Amino acid sequence: MIELLAQTGLNAVYAASYISLVAVGLVLIFGVMGVINFAHGELFMAGAYVVVALYAQRFVPFFIAVAAGLVFVGLLGLLMERALFRPLRDNPLGGLVASIGFLMILQALAVMGFGVRMEYIPPVTQEVIAFSDKVRLPISRLYVIIAAVVMLSLLWYFLKRTRFGWALRASAQDPQAAALQGISVTLTAKIAMFIGAGFAGLAGALTAPLVSVNPYMGHSIIVTAFIVIIVGGVGSLEGAVLASIVYAFVHTFVTTFYDGVIADITGLMLMLIVLIVKPTGLFGSADRA
Amino acid sequence: MLLEMRDINVNYGKISAIRNISINVPEGQIVTIIGGNGAGKTTSLRAMSGMLPLKSGEIHFEGKRIDGMAPHKIVAHGIAHVPEGRRIFPDMTVEENLRTGAFLRKDKAKVENDLKDVFERFPRLHERRRQRAQTMSGGEQQMLAIGRALMSDPRILLMDEPSMGLAPVIVEEIAVIVEEINARGLSVVLVEQNAVLALELANYAYVLESGNMALEGPASELHDNEHVRAAYLGL
Repeated sequence: MIELLAQTGLNAVYAASYISLVAVGLVLIFGVMGVINFAHGELFMAGAYVVVALYAQRFVPFFIAVAAGLVFVGLLGLLMERALFRPLRDNPLGGLVASIGFLMILQALAVMGFGVRMEYIPPVTQEVIAFSDKVRLPISRLYVIIAAVVMLSLLWYFLKRTRFGWALRASAQDPQAAALQGISVTLTAKIAMFIGAGFAGLAGALTAPLVSVNPYMGHSIIVTAFIVIIVGGVGSLEGAVLASIVYAFVHTFVTTFYDGVIADITGLMLMLIVLIVKPTGLFGSADRA
Repeated sequence: MLLEMRDINVNYGKISAIRNISINVPEGQIVTIIGGNGAGKTTSLRAMSGMLPLKSGEIHFEGKRIDGMAPHKIVAHGIAHVPEGRRIFPDMTVEENLRTGAFLRKDKAKVENDLKDVFERFPRLHERRRQRAQTMSGGEQQMLAIGRALMSDPRILLMDEPSMGLAPVIVEEIAVIVEEINARGLSVVLVEQNAVLALELANYAYVLESGNMALEGPASELHDNEHVRAAYLGL
């Protein structure tokens, strides 16, 4: 029993890792741009397809394919900023609708380029860290955990310790006052979109060999990400990370001990309970929500 | 002339907010814009820093035309705006707020020096430098907003209602700060509802009434003007 708990715990840490990468990007984009990016799940999917195209089909080394996934999806983020969100600034609802359109375009492109099927991606490594007979952590999952810890730490350092990080937070908190300090809101929007989209691409690329890659894989991750950022408090990066961990543990344990459908329901119940008890989310404040 | 506004018109949608406003700010002086609620004081100030588009008119700063520039470009020319309601960054620390004011500056050594200066001028900000800005009192937040503006190393400071919502003791403190800043050679444009305070501090004053320039002159003269005394000074 202890071993099953330990194994399920490891699985939850893995899930928390990629969920928080996706959710933090979504929160960053919402904070700085003021729009809810519905295409975020498809950015995750695009990252996975970069690995399909480069690693599975063209035998590029896995980590180079993953880096390409981050950069390529980051550039997709810049494209969204320029083509959708900049013309629709001051119109958050318009931005949201445009992002839904972009989601459909990305899905259609994936279908046209790769077809509607599950992609086979050869495993990156079969190695496993065996803590005991029944408690095992595959190295390919460890990569995801390490990447999440490293990238989230880098993001934290960037936001708290660098000039451009302060600029990003300033324009998230008060865009007009930020402009009065000489901060170009367009510049901070670009940075937020590149990082936010890039993180989603990274998560998609890293998990590609571990999940079923298909053009519609963005759906379940975006639902999870929405639950997580609502639980964490919309606009709070710390909240998003904490809520990712809570959600991943609840979901993974319920899946293991009951089943996946009950786990989805439990996740939604968790969100509802938080909304009833603390409508601004765990870390949210009323003025930002 | 350091800053020159010529025949400015600003509209909010189809409604005219200010009409044919001309304001001159000589080097090293304090110029004040007074007037009642909705007279167009804040609008005039926001036009100077590029936050509002002009319908017509020109703004020149140190001989360069700056109207039509984005606000973040205008800051780079040496115009710092302390906005109405202070608008500090609530979730950032006091020090982060101040350093954000120096966002455009490349002269790192001088930035550190200026930060030291601000902390000396406002010891309260130094005590609270690691604290989140929203946890401070109104007066402290106003000092932070002024400090943040000074961190851009400006040639001119635009201040919008620095006394608003503050206790009389704190208002006195702010007044002293404005005088000190000006004594160091910085020009100031002061928008105030508190006309007594504004005329006491300023060299020259403009009086706005429902979007029009009603009166202008040296502050001491306006202080003795019958209309100003009756309408704004309550004497």
